[in-house]
Amino acid sequence: MDVQLGSLLTAVALIVIGIFATAFLDNLIKKIIGLAFIGDGANLFLIAMGYKPGGIVYIYLPGMAADWFAQNAAYPLPFALVLTSIVIGASTMAVMLGIIIVLYKKKGSLSAAKVLGE
Amino acid sequence: MVIVPILCALFLNLLHKKDRAIKAVTIILALALPALPLLANYGFHYFGGYEPLLQNPTLSSNLPSFITGGVLSTFHPAITYSFQSAQQLFVFILGLVGLLALFTSVYETRRPSGVYAYMLFMGIAAMTAILLTDDIFNLYVFFEIAALATVGIVLVSNIKGNYETALKYMILGSVAAPLLLLGIALLLGVTGNVNITDIIYSLKTGMVDPQNPVLLMACGLIVFGWLYGSGLPPFHTIKSAIYSKALPSGSAMIQAFSVFTFIALGIVILRIFSYLPLSQWVILGVSLLAMILGITMAIVQTDIKRMIGFLAVGELGYIGIGLGLGTAFGITAGLFQAVNEVMITALLFIGFGVVLYQTGVSDTRKLGGLMFRNPGVALLVLLGGFAMAGVPPLNAFQSKLMLIQASIDAGFPELGVIMILLSIVTFMTFMKAFHTVYLRPKPADLEIKTETIPKATVISIVVLLVVCIIFGLFPHYVTSYLQPLATSLAGGVA
Repeated sequence: MDVQLGSLLTAVALIVIGIFATAFLDNLIKKIIGLAFIGDGANLFLIAMGYKPGGIVYIYLPGMAADWFAQNAAYPLPFALVLTSIVIGASTMAVMLGIIIVLYKKKGSLSAAKVLGE
Repeated sequence: MVIVPILCALFLNLLHKKDRAIKAVTIILALALPALPLLANYGFHYFGGYEPLLQNPTLSSNLPSFITGGVLSTFHPAITYSFQSAQQLFVFILGLVGLLALFTSVYETRRPSGVYAYMLFMGIAAMTAILLTDDIFNLYVFFEIAALATVGIVLVSNIKGNYETALKYMILGSVAAPLLLLGIALLLGVTGNVNITDIIYSLKTGMVDPQNPVLLMACGLIVFGWLYGSGLPPFHTIKSAIYSKALPSGSAMIQAFSVFTFIALGIVILRIFSYLPLSQWVILGVSLLAMILGITMAIVQTDIKRMIGFLAVGELGYIGIGLGLGTAFGITAGLFQAVNEVMITALLFIGFGVVLYQTGVSDTRKLGGLMFRNPGVALLVLLGGFAMAGVPPLNAFQSKLMLIQASIDAGFPELGVIMILLSIVTFMTFMKAFHTVYLRPKPADLEIKTETIPKATVISIVVLLVVCIIFGLFPHYVTSYLQPLATSLAGGVA
């Protein structure tokens, strides 16, 4: 299978699994893992946009012809964007886990139904 | 305008537990917030100094002709910020509300928190960036920072149930934000760009097929992020819950974040997807739903902050109607309504915050008789409520009148009728809450603190009310700042 198509399908699968986990699992940690799946799926989708079949790493080395480099290098923008997105995802996750720790200390449970009252 | 609030936030965070220093430094730093947009020059800012190659002959001369000779030379290689008259007004209003919220918070709290001020400054920085940026991924980054700042404000506010509400908000946000990112990824995949001007250029010049179904999906995902960020249905209940779990100054700021996210993302949707007639209908439909649901749900609320939160959601609907009409006059009216709503809702949150300060109660069933304790503040809050309902000569009267005229001009007189009816319902809802809190006899078990209200709170309410009156008396002065943006947006829609 084409690498790009495979990555896109994996991304969709990750997002679907993540949404399922977030919506239907009661354990808060499992919900958070589901959210991580959604974020990872979006990141994989974004990075797959920069894939170029047979492309080279987008680092311009001495001796390379500019025309050849422009035609063969992968698209660098998605890689830079994903890096930022991963950092944001990690920060959000840290805050959510911090809140869950506080709620667990207060209520002694990780059940969303008990802690969040749903 | 973005860097200064971030630096202020970082500096204040270092002053943790140094109460006096925090109070003084916060006020001094907050004064810069409304001043900066007044001092800045209009124009574009390119991060790293990389403007489009067309404008940079020095750099162009060293590059091969296949880059400089084609369309690539017009594209924006760096993150671009655009500062024009409309952005100046928005950032000024954001800064003013930020200043007054910070001013109120340091005097209302016995031990001012550096972390709380940090969150407010970070939120203001993020929101300023969202208003200025021309880069949709940059917008997403600051969208996330604003969401984190919102959660931070709620957590630091230390109100019962704040952790639960914050977690629910974050869980929903962690679904909505990646979907927004997915929408951006689809746009990047189709157009190869994240700069909004370049995306529009690609669509208008036929480099990309505008009827590509992937673009429709991208539009849907970005609209989903827009609904979450601004608290439109189906996120209106969690958003109003967030308002009710923050200190009054925090609620005033969070609602400002919601309104500015609403207009910033709304403008992006209009700019990129205006060629899809569906996008306008979606904006109109969602706004109408927000208006009806927000205002009708406000009627049954017993928590004051929650009631104002729902009214704020309803007022967002008015802004959306203006944007959705797609005419220059309609968009101007919508943006004017946004500016007015930010100030009025901040006024009401801070004004009703006085009730909370004196009684520690926000449940209207347990309140009453506060009129004779603070007739001055009650009068100011009453005028704020009149402003929200659109009573002349206050500012929202002018913007709502413009919106009704715009809807009639655009061939939707029924929208005008709905807006008038909902304004009446807003007035009734507000008057019911006002009567319950201020006019009816004081319940026997209600304890009212004897200490006087901080002068900072009264000053903040007066300043906001004065600005509301000025905007109401001189609407043309305000709309002159908004018209260039509205005209360019309407040109894109047409």
